[in-house]
Amino acid sequence: MKPVFQFSLSDQPLESQGLELSLRDPQAGAVLNFEGRVRNHNEGHRVRKLEYQAYPALALATGNRILEEECERHGVLRATAVHRTGPLEIGDVAVWVGVAAEHRGAAFSAAQAIMERLKYELPIWKKETYEDGSSEWVGPDNTSAATGLPHEEVPTWRAELLEIWISPANDFRGHHGMPRGNAGITRVSEIECVAGMGLKGDRYFGFKPDFKGQVTFFDAQALDAVREHFDLPELVAGEFRRNILVRGVRLEDWIGRRFRFQGIEFEGSEECKPCYWMNEAIAPGAEDFMKNACRGGLRARILSDGVLRELS
Amino acid sequence: MNTYQIHYLGLLSDRRGLAHETLISQANTAAELYDWLEKEHSLGLLYSQIKVAVNDELAAWDRQIHDQDLIAFLPPMSGG
Repeated sequence: MKPVFQFSLSDQPLESQGLELSLRDPQAGAVLNFEGRVRNHNEGHRVRKLEYQAYPALALATGNRILEEECERHGVLRATAVHRTGPLEIGDVAVWVGVAAEHRGAAFSAAQAIMERLKYELPIWKKETYEDGSSEWVGPDNTSAATGLPHEEVPTWRAELLEIWISPANDFRGHHGMPRGNAGITRVSEIECVAGMGLKGDRYFGFKPDFKGQVTFFDAQALDAVREHFDLPELVAGEFRRNILVRGVRLEDWIGRRFRFQGIEFEGSEECKPCYWMNEAIAPGAEDFMKNACRGGLRARILSDGVLRELS
Repeated sequence: MNTYQIHYLGLLSDRRGLAHETLISQANTAAELYDWLEKEHSLGLLYSQIKVAVNDELAAWDRQIHDQDLIAFLPPMSGG
């Protein structure tokens, strides 16, 4: 007999009582339902509320396909599943799965398979808001949607912070076809990092929302290589107009990944590609030379507040 | 030049600052379109992290796209 199944989305609270009616079947000796509820914590963070956003057309097609395939695979009679959308409070039912089968084995295994697949395949996204007011889009298995890393496993850089440089205005950016600016660049012994904004006092502080280059890291090995290649032993790191000179980390490994450095959390966004201004600021050929091995540095977003300090 | 309806979901809608937009583009594949958007708006997610749907069906990145297609970019899903 063909199974009866239905997947739906709901922006209203889910009640088992009404949904169970869809599982009534005189042949069914095993009927079970599962409620996935909102917990007050996730990976050590205290959750205040959350919100689900769905892609309805694709979610309905995907949900119904999952139910159909799992009903047939496990030989169950009926399956119903509903996923919530919109804002939810702690304790609310986020997802409801019900199965009716002739025997318990098929009912348990089908319900489990359906639930697992809904988590990974359903085009629905969860945004959690924490007690401290911060919020984050969550990925599968409670990883960060931005990085795929679990919340608690943000690796720490084992690197030395050698120099910090900030500048009040742009010398290169926005100067195409004109002479470079000369806002100057200042070395400081410590700098305040503000999540989502940048380095206090630097030209890119609050430049635009979610800017990729809130801070730039520059590898002392790249500086050494440029000094040697162009025979400029006195060249200072500030000439490159990157912010943080470090030693001991392969910057190219951190594109698209989160990391901690001196307790502050960052997310590498992309290589800080050298531009033609490098030929003027450093030496002819510097742009091409720096195109290798992430020598231009790493641009990053700042994810938590704190102060970076030069090695003393 | 084709006109595409773009739909950003989850994290990508935050990064872009909106959920829907209409775009006139030279892109012929979903990948070309995403490359352009990524460059323009610093979306910050790689192909390997996201999926693309064309006209409400999951599609391959090299799938040809056509005038008036609805292209949705889907970050890692997190139902349940």
